[in-house]
Amino acid sequence: MIILKLFWVFVKIGFTSFGGLSMIPLISSEMIKNGWMTAEEVSDIVAIAEMTPGPLGLNCATFAGIRAAGILGALVANLGIFMPSLTLSLLAAIFFERFSKARLMRDIMVGVRPACLGLVVGVCVTLSLTNYGGAGGISFPAVGIGLLDTLLLFKFKISIPKVIILSAALGLLIFGVLPRLI
Amino acid sequence: MTFTEKLKKALRLFADFIQFGVFTFGGGWSIIAQMQRRYVEKEKRLTPEELLDLTSLGRSLPGTMVGNVAMLYGYRECGVLGGVACIFGIALPPLVILSIITVCYSAFRDNEWVAAAMSGVRAAVVPIIFSAAVGLLKGTFKFPPCVAVFVITLVLYLAFGLSCVYLVIIGAVCGLIISEIYERRGKSERK
Repeated sequence: MIILKLFWVFVKIGFTSFGGLSMIPLISSEMIKNGWMTAEEVSDIVAIAEMTPGPLGLNCATFAGIRAAGILGALVANLGIFMPSLTLSLLAAIFFERFSKARLMRDIMVGVRPACLGLVVGVCVTLSLTNYGGAGGISFPAVGIGLLDTLLLFKFKISIPKVIILSAALGLLIFGVLPRLI
Repeated sequence: MTFTEKLKKALRLFADFIQFGVFTFGGGWSIIAQMQRRYVEKEKRLTPEELLDLTSLGRSLPGTMVGNVAMLYGYRECGVLGGVACIFGIALPPLVILSIITVCYSAFRDNEWVAAAMSGVRAAVVPIIFSAAVGLLKGTFKFPPCVAVFVITLVLYLAFGLSCVYLVIIGAVCGLIISEIYERRGKSERK
């Protein structure tokens, strides 16, 4: 049963996402709702997906699939996420000439793109609550790392994998080494 | 093309796309770059314009852009078999790598050093998503009402916890209405 559920959830994610980033909100809510991941794990998988080859959606499918139902779960979740490619893209390929000039998709995207942006900003807010907060209120070291990363990404255009490695090192130092010294 | 020829071709596509799949760090654009180098520059199977057409169509369809482009190119080269071969090829490397990582993650996440490092990494995730969202801004607000769609989606998601599926569908309907209105206005102004 869980196999079917996994497949269906990732079919839903596949058909309602346009571009990797817009998958995060739906992945986040579906994973947490079904108890396949915690909010922390959603953040972890986003970071892991950014550091490993493959688009975010596939990496989340594999991660959630294995954790929910082993390797078979991963296969089924991957198949789910590719369903739009196996059906809609196939149709589009067959009728390529007509499809590439079709207005319908372009008109739909006029509304879907701002909606997706709204979802992405929304998920940033909800992820902030878990990543910079917790049981003991605001975690100031985490906020500090976040601000530093924002500066590095926007001002100095440092690449994402480098920012992740730096943040891991800072985390190790602040949350791992420092409490032992004091 | 006989069936054996077709099968051979599909296997070649499968092998090509496994290679592309190994080097797709941080999203799908790197496979487009690799297709460009291989199919446009080296093998001259595609013109730059054709690749651009495939990419923009793949982007506007739902799902992963990478999977969509793989299907569009594979079908073009060798029918349904080719499309499926390309998708399986592009999916295989991330599946293997992430399977290994997931097993390691599950084993080590409770180690206190790993947990400390992951706390730092989690702090980076929101800035990363945010920086990627800024990249999406271009062309997102095509008409003024698109801003309203953005705000309404954000509020419905955060305050009312409405499912993303419904919100994307609402966005699609709004897109149709907005385009209809602005196109009609555009036409009547021209008259």
